[in-house]
Order: sequence, then C-alpha cells, then structure tokens
Amino acid sequence: MAQAHRTPQPRAVPSQPRAFKLVLLGSGSVGKSSLALRYVKNDFKNILPTVGCAFFTKVVDVGTASLKLEIWDTAGQEKYHSVCHLYFRGANAALLVYDITSKDSFLKAQQWLKDLEKELHPEEVLVMLVGNKTDLSEEREVTFQEGKEFAESQKLLFMETSAKLNYQVSEVFSAVAQELLQRDDREDQAPQEDAAVALNEGPARQAKCCAH
Amino acid sequence: MEYEDKAGRPSKPPSPKQNVRKNLDFEPLSTTALILEDRPANLPAKPAEEAQKHRQQYEEMVVQAKKRELKEAQRRKKQLEERCRVEESIGNAVLTWNNEILPNWETMWCSRKVRDLWWQGIPPSVRGKVWSLAIGNELNITHELFDICLARAKERWRSFSTGGSEVENEDAGFSAADREASLELIKLDISRTFPNLCIFQQGGPYHDMLHSILGAYTCYRPDVGYVQGMSFIAAVLILNLDTADAFIAFSNLLNKPCQMAFFRVDHGLMLTYFAAFEVFFEENLPKLFAHFKKNNLTPDIYLIDWIFTLYSKSLPLDLACRIWDVFCRDGEEFLFRTALGILKLFEDILTKMDFIHMAQFLTRLPEDLPAEELFASIATIQMQSRNKKWAQ
Repeated sequence: MAQAHRTPQPRAVPSQPRAFKLVLLGSGSVGKSSLALRYVKNDFKNILPTVGCAFFTKVVDVGTASLKLEIWDTAGQEKYHSVCHLYFRGANAALLVYDITSKDSFLKAQQWLKDLEKELHPEEVLVMLVGNKTDLSEEREVTFQEGKEFAESQKLLFMETSAKLNYQVSEVFSAVAQELLQRDDREDQAPQEDAAVALNEGPARQAKCCAH
Repeated sequence: MEYEDKAGRPSKPPSPKQNVRKNLDFEPLSTTALILEDRPANLPAKPAEEAQKHRQQYEEMVVQAKKRELKEAQRRKKQLEERCRVEESIGNAVLTWNNEILPNWETMWCSRKVRDLWWQGIPPSVRGKVWSLAIGNELNITHELFDICLARAKERWRSFSTGGSEVENEDAGFSAADREASLELIKLDISRTFPNLCIFQQGGPYHDMLHSILGAYTCYRPDVGYVQGMSFIAAVLILNLDTADAFIAFSNLLNKPCQMAFFRVDHGLMLTYFAAFEVFFEENLPKLFAHFKKNNLTPDIYLIDWIFTLYSKSLPLDLACRIWDVFCRDGEEFLFRTALGILKLFEDILTKMDFIHMAQFLTRLPEDLPAEELFASIATIQMQSRNKKWAQ
C-alpha cells in the first residue's frame, strides 16, 4: 500500500529491477547478520555485533522477473529497540529472526512483531518468521511445530534455517521475493483508490526505484 | 606422430626457451636474465641486418631494465629513508612526551606546541598515559573500587552459571532476567570484538581483561548496563592501558555527556546531536548535504555506529587510535568533525551513489583509508558555523 508511488516503474526495463526494502529484526546474536552475509556473499564468519544498522543489496531473479532487495540489518540488543524503530518505516518485508536454541529469542521475536504492527499495517509489510541455527538442534528449545503454529496464527511465512550450514537461507529470501512480486503485481491491477491511504503513511525512508 | 601433433597446434609455444625470451621481452625482471643468442646451428644464420637489429633491441632492453632497476632501488631507498624518518620522529616525539610534556602536564597540555604534536598522533608507548590524563578521573574511581566492582561481577557470573537464585537485590529495578541477558551478551560480544586480532577471544591473552572491565562496569553503573559497542571501546583502551586504568578511563569516557546520551539510547538527545551535526554538515558540505537530503539519508544511518564505537569498528585500528588521540584533546566535537572529514574525503564518490549504496559505503568504510588524507580532510572542516560553535 505504501508502495503505491513505487509502481510507475515500467515493467519492460529489465536493467532496473524494482527495489524492495527488507528489515532483519530479532534479538542479539540470533544470526541476523549471518543470514544476510550467507545470502548475499555466501560466506559465514565471526561477525562483529551490529551497532545501528548494516546494509546489503542483492538482485533476486524470480522466474522471468527480477527485483532488488535492500536489506537493512538492524542491531539486536534490546537497548537499541528505540533506534530500530527508525528503520521500520517504509519496509516492504521483515524477517523476524530467532534462535531455535533460545526460547527467549522466540518470545522476543513475538514482541518485535507487536512493535512492527504498531508502525506498519499488516497488509503493507510482508513478515516471515525465521528460526535460525538448526545446526544446533541438540540444544533446541523451540520446536519446529511451535514456530509454525505461531506463524500460522499470525499469518506469517515461516522457515527454519542454518546460516552456518547454508540450510534454506536462499529459500527464505526467494520466498519473500516471490511473495513481494506477487503482491506488487496484484496491487498494480487493483484500482488506484489505494493511493490515498498510501499518502497518509508518509514513509520516511521508502525503498525507491523510481527516484533515479 | 608426436611432431605432427605439435605442428597441428600452432598456438602452443614451439620451445620453452623462446617462451622465456618472449616473457623477458615483455617484462625484463633483471638484466642478468637477458641473453642474446644466435640461432641454433641447424637453422640458417640471421642476415647481418637482422642480427644488427636484434643486437640493438637487446641493448635497448638492457638499458631499459637497468633504468627500471635503478628506479626501483631509488624507490626502495626513499621508502627506507621515509621509514627511518618516521621512526626517528616517533622516537623524538616519545622523548618530548616523556621528558617535557608528561612531567608538566597541567601547564603544558594546552600549549600550541603540544597541540600540534598531539594532532600528528601520540606515539603508542605513551598513548595510554596521555589518554588517561586527558580523559581525567572526574568520577574519582580508585583501583580499590574497580576491585570491588569486579568481585561483585564475578559473584554474579558464578551464581548465573550455577543457575542459583538471586541472593542480593540491592539494585532493585533492574530485573535479574535483564542482568542475565546482559551477562550472556557480554560473553557473546567479547568473542566478536576485533576477531581478526585473535587476542580477545576465549583463550586469548586479553579475553579476561575485557570480560572484567565490561562486567565491573555493569556493576558500577547498573543504570546503564552493557550496551553493544562498549566492548570495542573497552578493547581499544585495554590495548593501551592496564586493566584497572582502562576501567577508570572507560567509566569516565562513557560518563561524558555525548557518550551517556548514546549509551543510554536517549533518543531525544541523540536527535539533538544529529540536528546539531546537520547544521555543520550543511555549512561545510552544502552539495553533499543536499544530495543526502534528496536521498533521505539521515545522519543516524552512519553516525550511530561511528559515535557508539568511537570509530574503532569502522576505521582501521591504528587510524581509529589517532582519532581517539584528538578526541581526547578536543572532546565530542572532534567525533562529529571526523564524520564530516570522512564525508568530505569521499564526497565525489558519494554524490554519485543512491541511498542504499551510500548507506552500505558509510557503514563499511574502505579498509585502506589513508590516515594523512583523512586528517588533511578533517583539518579543513570548520566547526564554527556563523556565530555558532559546537556546543550542546
């Protein structure tokens, strides 16, 4: 909805894929930066704690279409919460990441969802719940079923991953990309009356592609 | 059969020797490798004219190679001289700091001469002492107080690791869960602090020191607690000071108004700092400022990381230490001046980028950022806007 002013992008230009803003949210050390790094650079290493926000971009091909993901990788520590609100705005998608070996991080992810919904309409942001660190399954504190049930109750996408073992990482981003494109196409076909709503949202830092 | 096979593939070099020569022709590495040869006896001899031409070419190559070697030798000599010069000036600076400045700190530290020397970078051997003196100890922290805080932190770690219930509740208002999360996060972050240096990680020589300082701080200031970014500040101090002195410097440094505002994540105050920064940004770099505005690139995107970690995460460590040098001299103003210096240094590149690329660039600055160029750039930044000075 808030992306209404993004849509004038002509579809026939393949060199300028549509851009979408994706934020990574979740408590400290659940693997947000690791997921981004694995996905964008296919690398896994000891990552410095994120202070503020880090940024990645990647062009994703979905069938014949392609889109550009602008990944905003936020700081996880709770104390940074108030700062992270700055980064929600204008997001098209959010990955709520938790660590399957930490119940607490799962509860925090649910808290993040509440915060996110305070600032963004559920229809304007696509949310996926991601349980990371399946490589540590012997220390698991959150079952697959628990994650799945919560995601279903909130109408979120859901997947479990391991950034370390490169398990289902690109699948997460591809699924989000695919869904984003579908939603975007649906919006294009929808009558333009939505635009009035979009104007009121006034996203401060909208992921843009028509501004070039 | 084999011969035919070879002849069938003309692209393959006919003989290794000629191949060597070809390479030499391309890039002679040393004159001794150049050998002028006649054709093998089983082939017709070269015509005199051609032989003459080859000899000439050969001589030219030798001359060229010699020239190159001479140049290389001169470059190396210059480099060596430069290194000697730098070492000598560091040596002299150490003497000046130790014999003249440090014994007369109170009277000398704000003199023109000391300020100039300071700008050029404090020699590593006296850096810790100078930082300690410059940061001061407004909080009057003693080594004993550090020991007390550390002992309390150790007690907590023990009760935390044994899963024991909370015995003491003197810091009411800070929940046990919060504290546990904090302790856990410190552990995780220590292993993620300058991982390339391999000295702060579990088993590394400075692991316990870093753990002690961060743990003691959360006991000393439970109202602030541990905030990500602190581990980098403590680590830089540890590299230059003993544990207790590093703790004193750490606590006093974080007690400065700007650092308190950030580490308490006081959003309102942070915005005030960003707004003040933007005034000087517009004044100093109007073109880039307009470009940032157009792209909605707000200062929080890059300043949060830079200010929280005092550049120790975003700049090469030795360069970050030089920024700290002047930060200790000039205070918070210099942090924002440095930010403008960095923006100015990369102004041309940044004006060609869109939002996401600028954000990426600024949160991951080039690793080979040249110190002298950065300092030259910072020197041109004016922190006096019209009649306003940097003052919060």
